[in-house]
Amino acid sequence: MNNSILTIGVDIGSSSIKMVLLESNSGTVILDKIHEKLRKRNPELVVNQLIEYVLDKHDLKYEDIAYLASTGEGESLKRKRGHFYSMTTHAKGGIFQNPGAKTVVDMGALFVRAIKVNELGKVMDYKMTGQCASGSGQFVENISRYLGLAVEEVGETSLRSTNPEMPSGICAVLAETDVINMVSRGVSTPDIIKGIHLSVAQKVIKLLTSLKAESPVALTGGMAMNKGMVQAVTELADKGNLGLKIITHPDAIYAGALGAAIWAAFRHKKLEAAMENQLKST
Amino acid sequence: MESLKQLINKCEGLAFDLNYTRAKQWKSEGDGRVLVGYMPIYFPREIIHAMNGLAVGILGGGDKKQIIRGDAYYQSYICHMPRGIIELALDGHFDQFDGFLFPSICDVIRNLSGMFRVLRKGKFVKYMDFPQNFQKHIGGEFFKYELMDIVDKISKINKVKFSPEKLNEGIQLFNKNRALINAVYGLRKKSPWKISADEVYSIIRAGYVIPVEEHNEILKKAIELLGSMDGEPMDKIRVMIIGAFCEQPPLSLIKTIEQAGCYIIEDDFLLGSKWIQGDVEAGTSDPVGAIVDAYLNKSTFSSTVYDVDNPKEVRMIKLFNESKADGIIFAAPSFCDPALLDHPILQSSCHDNDIRYISFLFSENTGQFKVIKEQVGTFSDSIKLWEGETVNLK
Repeated sequence: MNNSILTIGVDIGSSSIKMVLLESNSGTVILDKIHEKLRKRNPELVVNQLIEYVLDKHDLKYEDIAYLASTGEGESLKRKRGHFYSMTTHAKGGIFQNPGAKTVVDMGALFVRAIKVNELGKVMDYKMTGQCASGSGQFVENISRYLGLAVEEVGETSLRSTNPEMPSGICAVLAETDVINMVSRGVSTPDIIKGIHLSVAQKVIKLLTSLKAESPVALTGGMAMNKGMVQAVTELADKGNLGLKIITHPDAIYAGALGAAIWAAFRHKKLEAAMENQLKST
Repeated sequence: MESLKQLINKCEGLAFDLNYTRAKQWKSEGDGRVLVGYMPIYFPREIIHAMNGLAVGILGGGDKKQIIRGDAYYQSYICHMPRGIIELALDGHFDQFDGFLFPSICDVIRNLSGMFRVLRKGKFVKYMDFPQNFQKHIGGEFFKYELMDIVDKISKINKVKFSPEKLNEGIQLFNKNRALINAVYGLRKKSPWKISADEVYSIIRAGYVIPVEEHNEILKKAIELLGSMDGEPMDKIRVMIIGAFCEQPPLSLIKTIEQAGCYIIEDDFLLGSKWIQGDVEAGTSDPVGAIVDAYLNKSTFSSTVYDVDNPKEVRMIKLFNESKADGIIFAAPSFCDPALLDHPILQSSCHDNDIRYISFLFSENTGQFKVIKEQVGTFSDSIKLWEGETVNLK
């Protein structure tokens, strides 16, 4: 008898949508993962297209999905059975991707959040950046656009830096002015990008310090896909002698969607069990 | 045929019409009609109905009225609602009202009644002490005297003579109203996915500003339409909201709580409409006495009632269990002393009964819900994922 459960986790971020199709039986298997830039489109529309695409690809019907869970900004998504908060899903997805991690840092487009987790993925404590854009992936993306770099090139470019120059201000708007000055002064693109990465990494280190983070620290979210960013966080953690090992996963961008899909399977089982108990008692 | 959506839109329009258009129109449609505004929480509207009047619930300006002069009347450490009410009064929203009733729920409402007197609003302004002694021969007699004083005040305005028969008619209409409101809440508790809490809120709140006969028709229609709906249940926790019995949360806050993973299946919003639990005895020779008896014996629990013999914390837990709720959200308006002073005793009772809860403050014009959304969302997750046994899916 096949007891496998199919679930979908959808992470609606401010700049992109990530989706994971999961099969849970005795273990958990990721059947598919996909992400799509929003580009000012209606998220509901994009999600529906992604769902149809994934279902078609695996020859599935919508009814085959036991639980579709949203996370991120997906509260108002119509085609869902439940919604989980980003912290909850990144914690679960983070330790699934990086077994043994004791701290998960969700590095998204709008803010960074450091989360202390237990071995089951339960959030024990957290700290997050304020609303200032200078600690976000969107800031890095904006700067790369000004410098004529594709987002995919940013990480490698940063790794080529020999003499990074950090922006003087902590405000994203002022930092952007700084970058214009750097360009006119002839500072190389790798050095500017690395400086920007170090500036964001500083914020991450501040969060980890105030959280009294435990090692290893898993980076998740879109910014964790950026090698230059990971390198910058690692360098500052080493420099500060924090004793923190920084780790990440090649699919770090899917941590939220993955966590949502895992929790979806958990909730489905729990709801089914509750229904069975109810039927037995009646 | 009117759809549920159309009905809800109509109710929202009525409920948040700060010009009280329907009430004023009702007054203009007949001779000797009076409009009496009453502040939260509860007033037996049957009394006004019997005197050819319409009791209009005044709940402040919410997030729909910009406060310009209202702030000058209150210190910064006072809640928001009276500022909105003063602003509405100063802008002439109550100009066709004949009288105002201020039930004794807190100092702020008492001071507001004084300001209405100074501003010479209406033909009478009454700060009304509700009895805290629930013995019939003491609190009951006092309450009856107070209610008859209002009857006299209205009679002086419209020359209508008090008639027990008319009051009995009103009692029947309001009994029906309470039963229909309970039925809507009952449907909501049973199938909360069919209609959202903010939609129920609009339907109930509309009844504060229109004749009861019209509200009963709206409620009947809503029940009929809800009965024919299916809808898809979502995986959300069931919560009770406690603390918003006077100043009302903005509609967006109610929406936010539900979007963040909760079904609000019990609340104390618009508590006045649910104050009397059950029917007031109809058809008696002493209908005022029947209203008094209902107040003494069938009142719900509230921070504004001295209830040593029937403590609110015990009644809250009973309601929680009956509602099959998963958790409690204590949502009180900022600076609301009655609500906030009760929180320790209510929360201690939650501890004793292993009930999960969170608390936050709001104001009727709160516009930023990000923090509340995070708080409610993680509360919902903690109950959904960590209550009872957990399984490791890894």
